[in-house]
Amino acid sequence: MTQSLNTSTAAGLRLRELSRRVQQQTLLDRLTLEVAPGEILALLGPSGCGKSTTLRLIAGLDRASSGEIELGGAVITHLPPAQRQVAMVFQSYALFPHLSVERNLSLGMELRGVPRADIARDLEQVLALLQLEGLRQRRPAELSGGQRQRVALARALLRKPALFLLDEPMSNLDAQLREDLRGELRTLLRSTGVPVVYVTHDQHEAMGLADRIAVLREGRLQQIGTAAELYNTPTNRFVASFLGNPSINLIETPERQLGLRPERLKLAPAGSSCEAGWSMLEGTISHREWLGDRVITHVQCPGQGSLKVVGDAGQAAGPVQVRWRHEDALSFERDGGGRLLPLTTRSQ
Amino acid sequence: MARLALLIWSLGPMVWQLYTSLRPTEALTGGLGGGLGGPGGWTFAHYQQLLHGNPPFQIYLLNSALVGASSTALTLALAVPCAYALSRLGRNASRSLSLLVAAAAAFPAVLLFLALLELARNWHLANNLLALSLPYAGLCLPLAILLLQASFRDIPMELEEAAVMEGMGLWQRLRWVLLPLMTPAMASAALLIFIFCWNEYPIALTWLSRSDLLTLAPAMARIAGSSVYTIPYGAFAAATVLGSAPLILLMLLFQRQIISGLTQGAIKG
Repeated sequence: MTQSLNTSTAAGLRLRELSRRVQQQTLLDRLTLEVAPGEILALLGPSGCGKSTTLRLIAGLDRASSGEIELGGAVITHLPPAQRQVAMVFQSYALFPHLSVERNLSLGMELRGVPRADIARDLEQVLALLQLEGLRQRRPAELSGGQRQRVALARALLRKPALFLLDEPMSNLDAQLREDLRGELRTLLRSTGVPVVYVTHDQHEAMGLADRIAVLREGRLQQIGTAAELYNTPTNRFVASFLGNPSINLIETPERQLGLRPERLKLAPAGSSCEAGWSMLEGTISHREWLGDRVITHVQCPGQGSLKVVGDAGQAAGPVQVRWRHEDALSFERDGGGRLLPLTTRSQ
Repeated sequence: MARLALLIWSLGPMVWQLYTSLRPTEALTGGLGGGLGGPGGWTFAHYQQLLHGNPPFQIYLLNSALVGASSTALTLALAVPCAYALSRLGRNASRSLSLLVAAAAAFPAVLLFLALLELARNWHLANNLLALSLPYAGLCLPLAILLLQASFRDIPMELEEAAVMEGMGLWQRLRWVLLPLMTPAMASAALLIFIFCWNEYPIALTWLSRSDLLTLAPAMARIAGSSVYTIPYGAFAAATVLGSAPLILLMLLFQRQIISGLTQGAIKG
């Protein structure tokens, strides 16, 4: 069943000008991107940005208004979901509540006509892989969140898909478990060797799991690239503010807006003189957050609002100077929010 | 205390019927000086009279069971696809259609009897037990659709989509995922339909005339009206007991399923 799709091994998933409109609303606007086999792409954005829409279009659960979806060299835009060889892990995991773990995993294969011996073999394999052997007779209601996620992953693996889709699979887990599972999930997804599209609104998850991240906003692709590219050279203000925690500081200058990463800012005694290549603002420390590995100092600057500075503990209150290197500042158009390339990098 | 009152309220009449059915006629009509625990003792005479009558009473029970079962099956077979479609249609379309269904449910069924009688005559449906399922299913359908539609709605869309992603077709999804999750709703709908058919009187009265084809309700009416001068309290009570026993049994059987279905829950963690 799987061999036929491996004819063009180079091609993974390719979306071309993919759009979805419902009545007057554009949910997804001409999205074009590629995911290579074995690559994990995260779709990142706030709710309503079109990331789940994209996933549903790829899965075939919703119809594309225009554009093309190509998987393994074949156009699948108009194929029904069952014929797409795509597996999906849902946000709620969508396990069948009336069936045991074992039946949850085997039902789909049975109905697809997989021979019994193969079902038994694959089932054992995947149960062992995901450490679910002891839970095979349990109902979903008797499982913890993490166990449910593993069952959902197991079900998707048994589909032997040519493409993996995951819709916020971590959002039902508590924060600690989420971080623990990130590495495991990454290894597991990688081992399948197929393209993976991973939807999330959590930047840490996207950065920690994915090879590349596509940031979406209001149905439009903002930027696609590695986490470092997105963080260091965002194409616009939205991407710059969406990535990074604490989020980027934005200050107004007469010509443009400057984006200053909190960890690139330095605190200096108030009124001290500035070296060449540095800029500064005078302000007053309003409060500090002590987070163990770092301290976030909030500095109130007249006319600019509050700036966040990440650094070592310094003075706790009073007037202070915030300074930064010119090359660390990202500059944006005031109206459009697009990033303006600094003159220095352009000449190099 | 309140529970005791509730028990007496609901079980009292039944116990009284049972008591009446087991007392000789003279004790019931006051010929023996009556009263609870009065003379006359206990007797199975009324039951014997019913069960050895012509035709015997169990025929009516069987007839009613047959009509009830076939009507329930027919209604559910029609209501499930209707309810599924309604629950999956767009919001506006399903709302106006549901309104129509509700209007059909609210239509006074009495007005249909004459027309139904005409139908029975023209299409030779009289004295046919299975044919009786047609008007019964028609009358029960709106309510069944509304009941099942609500329960289809309660099943998260993601669950069906997961089944779609697993490669299941529409019937496979219904058979393996949706219907098993709807067992409680289907059980309660089936019970309601069955009780309606079991109790239905006017249509059965007009569509059935052969005495061996009578369902319970018209048959009991015949017992009550068998004599002009005396009211056969005992036989009537015995018929009531025999007629309600299967319902109580069904209720007990289904009740467990409904409760287990309600507590199963937890689709999302």
